[in-house]
Amino acid sequence: MSEPEQGTVPILFEADIAVARRVVREVAGRIGFGVTETTRIITAASELGRNVFKYAGQGLMQWRIVQKGSARGVELSFEDHGPGIADLDAAMVDGFSTGGSLGMGLPGAKRLMDEMDIRTAPGEGTTVVVRKWRRN
Amino acid sequence: MNEGITVLKVRDVLLVTMPADPDDATVSALQSRTLDAMEQHDVKGLILDLSKVEILDSYFARTVAETAQMVTLMGGETLIAGMRPSVAITATELNVTLGATRTVLTLDRALDLAGDITKRKSVQTKRLAR
Repeated sequence: MSEPEQGTVPILFEADIAVARRVVREVAGRIGFGVTETTRIITAASELGRNVFKYAGQGLMQWRIVQKGSARGVELSFEDHGPGIADLDAAMVDGFSTGGSLGMGLPGAKRLMDEMDIRTAPGEGTTVVVRKWRRN
Repeated sequence: MNEGITVLKVRDVLLVTMPADPDDATVSALQSRTLDAMEQHDVKGLILDLSKVEILDSYFARTVAETAQMVTLMGGETLIAGMRPSVAITATELNVTLGATRTVLTLDRALDLAGDITKRKSVQTKRLAR
C-alpha cells in the first residue's frame, strides 16, 4: 500500500497554519525537494494559509503530488468562502494589505513558488493554487 | 511535538531560543516572554537564537523586528544569531526584513559580541562616574 498522493488540511484555527506547514514539509520530503526548496514551499504555504485564516476565518488546504512529463512536483490549493479579493492587481503588489499585515502574502508566495493561479470573486471567496516542480 | 521558547539569563544577557517551527501562539509569546524577562533581570540586552528555526514567514519576521524595537526602547540591544542559509534565502525572496537588528552567524559570535558590548558599556559608565 503506497502513501496517499493527495490530502486535505482544514484551516479552522490559527494553529492549523502550523499543521498545514507540517503536512507540506512531509509531502515535499517525499517528492525529494532539497532543504531550500522545501523551506520556500513551506513558507509559501504558511503565508497562504494565514491569508485564509485572516481574511476568511476558515477554509482548507488541499495538496496533491503532480507529474508533468518526467518532472514531479507539489500542488497546493487554498480555498475559502470569505470576502474575496476586490482588487487583485493591488493585492499582488508588495506591501499592499487590507488586513493590517505586511502585505507580503500573495506576491511573496508567488516568488517562492513556480506557478500561481488565483480565482476570486467579491463575496464568493478565493482559491489560490500554487505549484513547485522539482529540478533534477 | 511543538516545543516552546526557552529563555535563559547568561551573564549580562538573555538568551532566547526559538523552536524549529513555532505556531502563531508561540511566535506571539516571544514578545511577552522577552519583555517580561528584560524587566525581571538586569541585563544589557538579548541574543535571539534562531539556529533551530526552519521557517521564518512574514508574521514571525515582523514579530522578531517589533520585539527588537521594543527591547531598544527599554534600553537593551538585540543580536540575532544563527539563521540558517535556507531561511535567509527564503526570507529575502519573500521580501521580509528584520529592521535594523544586528545579526551574527553563530551563537558563539553573539556571546563574544555581547561580552564586548557589556565591557564597552561598563567603561562608558565608569567614564561618566568620574
